[in-house]
Amino acid sequence: MSERTSADTRDGNDLSLFKRHENLTVTAIFVSFVIIIAVVQLLITGGKYPTFLSPVNLLNILQQVSVPGIVAVGMTMVMISGGIDLSVGMLASLVSIVTALGVSKWHFGVVGSILAGVLTAVVLETVMGFIISRVKVEPFIITLGGMITFEGIALLLCNSREVIMSGELNFIKANLIAGSKDPVTGLNLVIPPYVLAFFFIAFLAGMLLKYTKYGRRIYAVGNNPNAAFLAGIDVKAMRLSVYVIMGLLVGLAAVMLLSRINVGIITLGQGLEIDTIAMVVIGGTALRGGKGNIVGTLIGVFFLGSIGNAMNMLRLPSEVQFVAKGIVIVIAVSAGHVSSAVSEFMSRRRKVMVPVPAAAVKQE
Amino acid sequence: MKEILRLDHVSKSFVGVKAMQGISFDLCAGEIHCLCGENGAGKSTLIKVLSGAHQPDEGSIYFEGQKVTLTPHQALALGIQTIYQEHIVFDSLSVMENIFMGLEVGRRGLLDRREMRRQTVEVLQYLKADISPETIMGRLSSGQQKTVEIAKGLVFKRKAIILDEPTASYSAAEIDNLLDIIKTVRASGIGIIYISHHLDEVFRIADRVTVLRDGRKVSHYQIQGLTKTQLIKDMVGRDPSTFYQRETVPIGEAVLEARHLTGNGVRDVSFVLRRGEVLGFAGMTGSGRSELMELLFGSARLDAGELFIGGRRVRHASPRQSIRNRMCFITEDRQTTGLFLEQTIAQNVMVANMVNTRDFFANPADDLRTGDGFIQKLSIKARDARIWAMTLSGGNQQKVVLAKWFNTAGDIYIFDEPTRGIDVASKQEIYQLMVGLLKEGKAIIMVSSDMPEVISMSDRVAVMKDGEMVGLIDRGAITEESILTLSIGDKAV
Repeated sequence: MSERTSADTRDGNDLSLFKRHENLTVTAIFVSFVIIIAVVQLLITGGKYPTFLSPVNLLNILQQVSVPGIVAVGMTMVMISGGIDLSVGMLASLVSIVTALGVSKWHFGVVGSILAGVLTAVVLETVMGFIISRVKVEPFIITLGGMITFEGIALLLCNSREVIMSGELNFIKANLIAGSKDPVTGLNLVIPPYVLAFFFIAFLAGMLLKYTKYGRRIYAVGNNPNAAFLAGIDVKAMRLSVYVIMGLLVGLAAVMLLSRINVGIITLGQGLEIDTIAMVVIGGTALRGGKGNIVGTLIGVFFLGSIGNAMNMLRLPSEVQFVAKGIVIVIAVSAGHVSSAVSEFMSRRRKVMVPVPAAAVKQE
Repeated sequence: MKEILRLDHVSKSFVGVKAMQGISFDLCAGEIHCLCGENGAGKSTLIKVLSGAHQPDEGSIYFEGQKVTLTPHQALALGIQTIYQEHIVFDSLSVMENIFMGLEVGRRGLLDRREMRRQTVEVLQYLKADISPETIMGRLSSGQQKTVEIAKGLVFKRKAIILDEPTASYSAAEIDNLLDIIKTVRASGIGIIYISHHLDEVFRIADRVTVLRDGRKVSHYQIQGLTKTQLIKDMVGRDPSTFYQRETVPIGEAVLEARHLTGNGVRDVSFVLRRGEVLGFAGMTGSGRSELMELLFGSARLDAGELFIGGRRVRHASPRQSIRNRMCFITEDRQTTGLFLEQTIAQNVMVANMVNTRDFFANPADDLRTGDGFIQKLSIKARDARIWAMTLSGGNQQKVVLAKWFNTAGDIYIFDEPTRGIDVASKQEIYQLMVGLLKEGKAIIMVSSDMPEVISMSDRVAVMKDGEMVGLIDRGAITEESILTLSIGDKAV
């Protein structure tokens, strides 16, 4: 009975502004964060153009976030389908070691080594996806197992040592706009190919999620697997597929990361899973699945990426970065709920006040 | 006999529904008092009043002669224990821990496991139940779990135990066992209120029987001399002219034929469904109706039997296959198996039809138009198709589920409880939509526990009992009595 009365008030469908535009809350927080940093810098330097907003720094942030960003795109799809993947960090380390070994020791050639690395990631993620889609064990557990296993395999392959390369992958970080200078700082501007790859992948994934039947099915599976099954969706195949895509993206991301630092090493992907999950969650994707989008994730990627950078600009010690990142995650994720609770309260008040009889208004 | 509980002219209404009207009822020590009535007769409300979950609007409750006000806490403290149909147990804890949950025996903050174990063993032995106190609750069958809940009542020396449909979906052996246990409990001087749809159980254990109908007490009997026929007569007796009056449609050729379907708890069910008809499925909760629907739609596995759709045999049935065969399945529980609550109306409407198109791309703008179209056509109360399904009321949510299936342009519609939890006005609208389908030459299978709905909507009624189809009633012979006799009476009618 109470269902009906509460539903009646809901039937007006008064969704708040923040609910209608799902990425608005986090965008607002991000913009205010940027403004605060810029203002603080202005105050410290006494009115000089804040270096945080200088083109060279913005491009810097882009380079830093592109690789985790690619993984975050994959994580978005996995999480929308109702899954999660804790193994991406160690898988990236494993891929970097496989690829580096391929180049420097196994003589696979550059293309062969990259293929070997990416294929490793795809195969391993497919195995996990297969288990997750067939067995009733939480993806959290399966991928946690994956994470530990991959770390072991990686350490075995490299004998717990780093695998040094001699710049064979430098073409991935070549500067596409060599020679341009930043008008603010006078430093060189850099846009490497992998930054473009990130945008391209994010664009493709965004289109896939929104404008294809495959994308709609991922949402359906994450939202209500039972109803999805009864609507003729192959739930198992959907669950498997997102992990396969994840494998491909982790493989590519790991190769790009390897090109940046030139060393295949176990610490390369450390913490990547935490960072990417944080980015995705900040971007509004629900842990329980069924909800989220790539634009939100992009905002999350840039937001999390700029926190560390901003702390550097303000010359705060790196320890503070962790505190700031942690607080931002909590604020960004709870703000959505707070804002919708507030707007619900407001709309309820409006509803109480609005119904003035038409006749009474006319008389006035 | 000593009176434990007495209700004196108790009434209780909910928004627009009088669930209990001046019901008097009493329970004595050491007796089993059965409550009979159809779905919606007021049994659940009566239990909830006794367990303190609902406060009566009028009338009074007496406990051992004293007038009392019951809250859930107060009811337990007085010694009234309610055992609900669904188990509320801690699956991963032991039997003993379940019994003593929240009422642990202990000294100075430490648990006295030995004492708790002693009491558990004592009671379980008294009940002749072969259950060890250390067994993990989740490993027990649901019949054994019920025994543990009853044991709890004995451990804490309750005075009254209320059992709501304790044997739903039990095997015959489990039922025998449970009934024996209940008789043992009666012998210890506890008063028992027993609610069951199974009349044979009632006749096996009851001392007294009270029949409710539409929130009123119809009759009260000592079990001696009472007959099943009399009991059924008391339970039915609504005026059929108050039911929804539906148009009939000429009935066409067969579209679906089931031959000896077996599996998923269903045994050997055969029937034919024809264009333009509603084939109702009546029966008590747990009689296997929803399970049969899952077999038809392919969401559960068929062990034996054959299913023909449009004359062609269906092999390897799956929901995907069924949708391609133009079947639609409006499930019983729209929240868990029907809707995508956190998706828009448009997305909900297009989801099932994806199977029927080969395109790779989806077109959100098209989906919105389709969604808006259905909002108009089914008069769904929503501003537009961008609204989340979650924000709608029950009736409108049900219409979204209908829209999802109408969008697949299906031929065969399975409605499992089409109007559960829906207000009266939406109910009528949904009936009209169903008649509209019939006029287009579609066929409907309808599972319903709402007796007026079954009678007013069905062209024929199949009655299920314990996973089997026990009868098929033709239009002219459909009455509450004929349905109820088949579904709760003896098999041979």
